[in-house]
Amino acid sequence: MIVTAALLMGVTLIAASLLRPKKPSKAKLETYECGMETVGDTWVQFRVQYYVLALVFVVFDIEAVLLFPIAVAFNALPWLAVINLILFILILLIALLYAWRKGALDWE
Amino acid sequence: MALTLQQVIFLALAVVVIGAALFVVTTRNLFRAALMLVLSFFAVAGFYVLLDAGLFAVAQILIYIGAISILIIFSVMLTRGMQAMIPRNSQAFWSAVVVAIIFAMLLLLLGPLRTTVNVAAWPIIGSIFPNATPRELGAVPWAYAVEPATGLPAVVPETYIATFGFSLVDINQYVLPFLLVALLVDIALSGAVHIARQRRPIEVIQERQDIAAEDAAEAEAIRNAQQPAPVPAPALPEGAVAAATSAANEH
Amino acid sequence: MNPINDLLNIIGGFIAGIINSIFSFSPFLADAITMGLAAIILCTFAALSFMGLTYAERKVVARIQDRVGPNQAGPLGLLQPIADGIKMFTKEDTTPAAADRWVYNLAPLVIAVFALTTYAVLPFAPGVVGTNLNIGVFYVLAIGSGSIVAIIMAGWGSNNKYALLGAFRTVAQLVGYEVPMLLNVLPVVMLAGSMGLIDIIDHQTLANGNAGIPFLLFFPLSAVVFLISGIAETARSPFDLLEAESEIVAGFHVEYSGMKFALFFLGEYVNALAVAFVFSTLFLGGFAGPILPPYIWLLLKAGAVFTIFMWLRGTLPRVRIDQMHNLNWKFFVPLSIVHLILVIILLKVFVTSPAQQAATGGILVDAWVQAAIMFVASALTLIAGLGLAARRARISRLAEEDVLARRRAENMATAGAA
Repeated sequence: MIVTAALLMGVTLIAASLLRPKKPSKAKLETYECGMETVGDTWVQFRVQYYVLALVFVVFDIEAVLLFPIAVAFNALPWLAVINLILFILILLIALLYAWRKGALDWE
Repeated sequence: MALTLQQVIFLALAVVVIGAALFVVTTRNLFRAALMLVLSFFAVAGFYVLLDAGLFAVAQILIYIGAISILIIFSVMLTRGMQAMIPRNSQAFWSAVVVAIIFAMLLLLLGPLRTTVNVAAWPIIGSIFPNATPRELGAVPWAYAVEPATGLPAVVPETYIATFGFSLVDINQYVLPFLLVALLVDIALSGAVHIARQRRPIEVIQERQDIAAEDAAEAEAIRNAQQPAPVPAPALPEGAVAAATSAANEH
Repeated sequence: MNPINDLLNIIGGFIAGIINSIFSFSPFLADAITMGLAAIILCTFAALSFMGLTYAERKVVARIQDRVGPNQAGPLGLLQPIADGIKMFTKEDTTPAAADRWVYNLAPLVIAVFALTTYAVLPFAPGVVGTNLNIGVFYVLAIGSGSIVAIIMAGWGSNNKYALLGAFRTVAQLVGYEVPMLLNVLPVVMLAGSMGLIDIIDHQTLANGNAGIPFLLFFPLSAVVFLISGIAETARSPFDLLEAESEIVAGFHVEYSGMKFALFFLGEYVNALAVAFVFSTLFLGGFAGPILPPYIWLLLKAGAVFTIFMWLRGTLPRVRIDQMHNLNWKFFVPLSIVHLILVIILLKVFVTSPAQQAATGGILVDAWVQAAIMFVASALTLIAGLGLAARRARISRLAEEDVLARRRAENMATAGAA
């Protein structure tokens, strides 16, 4: 099952690494200091919005992963189970609305 | 000892998981540690595939590698742990010993490890309890013999995915943990959003004022506690005021 | 018609037969070699289509912008991709001095590999699929999500502030647009009752007594949101703010050149084509179609979707980053959730098979009636959502204009008084 996928990856790995060493040109430029101006340390002011967005994504990721098997069994769910399902989705919708009101989703 | 292909793959994955985990806890480069953690997550997904549980393998990739490792890398960068010099943990050895003991106990209680305990044969304690019967600990036979009754109507083909999905919302099965997970995740998100939200400047000023006021109140309370209570004014004798006023009136 | 329809099956069977007879001493080895050959063929298909797509994209976008596009290399510029490939191969591979070697070299490889792995589950014809996972669509989404770590690797490994910043922003965008994609595949899975791509196609064809209704007609909102999220997920225009030349100077792959940059580029186009294939499979019916052979139908549908991608690229201006995030979290995600709840209720109320009605109750309707009800509900949700967003935008715009006008009046008053 996954073996074919792994084989695909293997083939690309081999192909790409074989194709790569075809440029041994210009050894003089080995230590070329390329890129933008490298002034100072290599860190950036990490804004906390990135972290909050990743956190909200984790929440919805877990929700989606739990919803997928339920969706597969959907046609056989009795009404009580459907109500449980809608309750689950509503709880997470409320979380989204809270994050929205508190401005966690602003400014990118 | 002929190994089947499954065993070979299992051994390879086990080596990857344990090797990557060892790298994670021993390296100084936090970013490489995070990447090795991703590798061990991949290997765990491979374990799920070996167990014929493709759904969980894919869920592992989606959640752990797609979301949680990004969160870990972001939090590492947020606290700028990669720039600071990371001091070596001086308690590493003893914590490893404690963890190994706990792990062995867990293997005994919950896993395949098994041992026989015969208190009567122990050197000193054996004389206190000479007629204790030997006991077997471990290797608890978890009950797989009974198929879980799903109650799934036959409209959907009964794959493990459908059974799992139905068990999450069925009122007789795991719907309570399901909804509790939603609540828990809700609370965690709300807490994190509240702590990490961008304060507007006026809010920052207000917060600083609040903190300063609290500090002042605390200092006041401490000062009051250290000084003796102020001496109450001496009780005036009964007629002193009247005598004084009458004396003043007479003058 | 049969040889043409089953052409891929016949060729595949032929080659498998040869391999099986060569390796008849070990069926396991024969299996492994067959799978390896299939993997190689899929990779070759992806690479060739990548070359054709870059050419087609440049030509189409050029025509939209009233110019000709590449026409120097070969007749009509048809050898342009080959010229580009030669350029990529022979370009020098500059590596920044203090970069983390392993991480820097591994990142483009991981992205390209993940992009190619999604092709393993796409069904090209009724029997032709790399591996028929019963969690096919879930697998595709997970692979797309797993390639996000490689972008941070690329950004960090370059030892470059701007690359790191670009990597963070790209990851924020990709991670954000995963959510509407996940939420909008759910109605499709609910209706089809399975996550396997072949099962989903089966439900849209006339096989097994299903009415042959493509899921686009059931859930137009899901289709539209999935399409737009797919465009944003592969960071194409108009969501390419992080690799635009005038912005953060090519974002997280600023320090890559030569073959490694070509791998990034390949990853982007292969991802876009994979999104086109998955959309055709989920919403348009995959390889199903009346007269032409199935693989031709799939290529036509995916080609149509990719033409929409190119059309949007040539026409729309780039969005700002806060506009993009607002669109995602404040419009797509709540809309998808509301739509999901609506679909859940409606799919339980209006059922199409008597067995289901006997099991869980509901109103028995014909398949086309159910499709029509779903379509109306979905379209109404979309229009209502758009209307709500437009109204909010209008209110905020009027408030802004109000503030500006007041300020202007103040300025005029003070200027007049002075």
